Parts: sequence; C-alpha cells; structure tokens
Amino acid sequence: MKYMILLYGSQQDYDVLGGTPTDKPAMSAEDIAAMHALMESFHQGLVDSGEFVDARGLTPPVHARRVQLRNGAPVVTDGPYPETLEVLAGYTIVECASFDRATEIASGLVNPDADGEYVDVRPILDGFEDLAV
Amino acid sequence: MDTTDIEDVLRPLAPQVLGAVIRRFGHFDTAEDAVQEALLAAATQWPTAGRPDNPRGWLITVASRRLTDLLRSEQARHRREDTVAQWTLADERHSPATDLRTSGTDDTLVLLFMCCHPSLSSAAQIALTLRAVGGLTTAEIARAFLVPESTMTRRITRAKKLIKDSGIPFGMPAGPDRAARLDAVLHVLYLIFNEGYASTSGPTLQRTELAAEAIRLTRMIHPLLPDDAEVTGLLALMLLTDARRPARTGPDGELVPMAEQDRSRWSAESITEGVALITDALPRGPTGPYQLQAAIAAIHDEAPSADATDWPQIEALYEFLMRISDNPVVALNHSVAVAMSRGAETGLELLEDLAADARIADDHRLHAVRGHLLEMTGDRARARDSYLAAARRSTSLPQQRYLHMRAARLVDDT
Repeated sequence: MKYMILLYGSQQDYDVLGGTPTDKPAMSAEDIAAMHALMESFHQGLVDSGEFVDARGLTPPVHARRVQLRNGAPVVTDGPYPETLEVLAGYTIVECASFDRATEIASGLVNPDADGEYVDVRPILDGFEDLAV
Repeated sequence: MDTTDIEDVLRPLAPQVLGAVIRRFGHFDTAEDAVQEALLAAATQWPTAGRPDNPRGWLITVASRRLTDLLRSEQARHRREDTVAQWTLADERHSPATDLRTSGTDDTLVLLFMCCHPSLSSAAQIALTLRAVGGLTTAEIARAFLVPESTMTRRITRAKKLIKDSGIPFGMPAGPDRAARLDAVLHVLYLIFNEGYASTSGPTLQRTELAAEAIRLTRMIHPLLPDDAEVTGLLALMLLTDARRPARTGPDGELVPMAEQDRSRWSAESITEGVALITDALPRGPTGPYQLQAAIAAIHDEAPSADATDWPQIEALYEFLMRISDNPVVALNHSVAVAMSRGAETGLELLEDLAADARIADDHRLHAVRGHLLEMTGDRARARDSYLAAARRSTSLPQQRYLHMRAARLVDDT
C-alpha cells in the first residue's frame, strides 16, 4: 500500500525558513542546513529500506492559483490563502507494509522543536475500484 | 570586476532570467519588477562580493524571492481592500499548450514576442521591449526618449498591466499570428534603431546608445531565427547604416549629407559584416523590405564616392521596394535615385506626383529633397525656398541648422 504523508505550513512558516522573523524566531543558516541534512538522511533511510516513492516541497502559498469555473469559463484567483492559514507545504509518499508502519515513518517528519506541529498520513487509493470497498 | 563588465554579463541575462521566472510563477508585471530589482542587487553587490559562480541561477533565486515578497504585499492589499485578483484564462490557453517549452524556442524570443503584443501601442511596445528584453532601467529609457521618468514609468506600468490582463500565456504565438507578430517585433527593433540613428527630436542628432541597443537585440534574435531572411536583412541594414555614423556629423555636431561624408571614416568592419549578412540572406528569400533596404545601403557603403555610386541599381531596388510596401518615404528615396541616375528634372517630376500624397506632403524630408534637386538644376531661388520650408517643418535642431545653412549658401553667392 502507498501512503501520503502531508506536511503543512503557513506563509509565516516559510518566513521562518527564509530567515525572516515572525511570531516565531527565524531559523539561522546553521539551523536550515541541519534541517536539510536531517531530511536528506531521513529520506535516504527510506530509499535504503525500499519504502521511498516520492517527496516534494511546495513553493510558498503566495504562488498558489485557485481555478474555478464561472459560466463554464475558467477563472483564476491568485494567492487564495490568508497569510496565517496552514496549507499543504510538502509531501512524502511511501510504500510500506502497513498503515502503522507509515505512521511510524510519519512521526519522523514532525518537527520535535515545535510544540503542536503535526503531519497527516493518508492511505492512497490504488484505483477507483478501491472506492467501492 | 568593474561595472562595465557586470553590465555586459547582466544585460543578456535579463530576458533569460525574466523568462524563467514568468514561466515558473506567471505574473508578467510583478515578475518584471522583481527581475529589475535582482539586476540592481547584482550591480551593487557583485563589485564587492564578487560574481557568483552561476550568475543566472543567482539572479533567478533573488528575483523569485523578491517576487514572493512583492506578491505577498500585493495580495495583502487586495484582501484589505476586499478586492480579489481574478482573471479569466485566455482563449489561446485552450489551444495546444503554447507555454510548454518547445525545443529551440528561447525565452528571449518569447519575451520579445510578448512585448510586441498587438494590444500595445508602438511607443509602449518599444518601452517594454527595452526594459524587459533589453534590461534597461526606466530612467535610462526615459533619458533615451527625452521624456520625464514618471511618464515612462506610467507607460511601462500600463503596458505590463495590459499584457497581464490580456491573459496571454507565456509562449510563442502559433500559426499566422506568429508571422504577424514577428513583423511587429522587427518593426519595433527598427524603430528603436531609427530613434537612435535619426533622433526625431532634441538637440543632438544621434542617440547612439539606442542604435547600439537595437543592434544588440537584433544580434541576439538573429541566431534564434536563422531561417528568417528578414531578420538577417534587418541586422544587415542596421550595421550598414550605423557604419556611416562616424562621418555623419561634423565637429560641431552638424549633419553631413552622405554625398559630402568622408568615406574613410565609415566603419569597414560593420560594412564587411553587413555585406556578408545581406549577401547570405538575399538568395534565400522571400525578399522583404529590410533586405532590400540593406541591399541599397550596401551599394552606398561600397561606392568610393557619391558620383561613383551605382544609382541605376539603387533605383531598381527602390522600385522593387515600392511594389511591396506602399510607403511614401520609399517613393521619396526612389525619386532621389532617379534624379541621380537620370537627371534632376526627372526626379523633380516624380516629386511633384508625390507632393499630392497627404502622408508626406508636409514632411520636411520632401521639401529638403526638392531643395537639393532644384539646386542641382540651378534654380537657386526656389531651392532656397524649399530648404527654408523644410527647416520650418523639421523638429530636429541639427537638421534645422543644416537646412538653414544650405539656404544661406544659396544667398551668399548670388
């Protein structure tokens, strides 16, 4: 089974990464480098265990476009998110033995220094047939 | 590294960086501001901090970061004012994805085509091209066109907004649109060159930096459209015309007509390059107006003197040019060639027909040519009147001075 681990962040969290102080203290260059190293070794571990499928980060939410149809014509809204709204910031897809194993992997993606931070784990459907279950 | 070196590195990178940022994030107008700020940051930081190993990557990173900041304040303002920035996808978007990167299409070219969008006026196309593709600052463009910076800022801002609101995707227009837009692109480059070469207003005759910029931009697109003989023709025309620049003005900045120019001061290097280009382009066809004008310029440039010029061939080329473009200035030049090859009287007859064309009847050039031809026939009084009529109609001070000088010469020795 494949599982998607979803990571969230607001525009402000991106500021922290970018070194701009907000309500939270800004991360230093060393902090960022350490975080990158941690993520890299974490994902390398998944590659080694054969459970890694894909992992991606998304650009700051300010670059999002929302597309709707109005009278059948596509209408685009630039930057649909408020600054403080937590939105999808990245994901890691793993293929592993069980939901519990995926959950265990996900726990490694929660920032231990930020109280209350979370990630979500969602089983991925293999196809439309799964919906019938 | 010094400032000139940095400019040489930055200018060709400007459209590539802008192209990369728009392709990735959209927002033509804001992205353009962000790239300008990145260029400015490079110009101020690199002299002390040194040039980064990957200048293009550095600029894209800085511009993207700046774009994020600019978009955030823009979006915050929209939310405060309770206006939502919404736009409708252009119809073009529904045709095959034109913004997919097709091989062989350079971002510089895509940007140039966007800047010459038909919804913009020529003045706006020119200003936007110089900024977005040329990497010039608004202040530099304003100075080149002798308008206040605030005027140029408004012109560019409006142009960018029009392009953004039009919703056209970042990509090359397809099919017949492409050919029409290429015509517009070449025309814009030609106008930039002309504005630099024969300044339409102001105290100095040549604003060489505009002519040089037009040549640089045309050089940049020439290898991108190698099969288009008109692009080659335009580059040749610019080089062959610019070659005469050193001899075109006298020591006091006065205009020296071609017949009286010191031909040893013409740039042999530019002539050689221009002749090679046009020689290569002509047999490839189809033959367009830029190639014909370049061919005419080449004949002038290769002639040892005005008298030894192959006027009958120039006359034939102008005739060909008249057949493909209904332009009264071409007809005016044709009448000069006729006068030179078959006598001033014949030229004057053609000129009288042309004087009925309202598009040029009041143009100083018509009156100046009439003055020259009348002087050739020995009709000094009417020649003098024509020179004075031309001077009254010219907006360029050096041209006015030249025409008054010609008129005065006819008084002095009567």
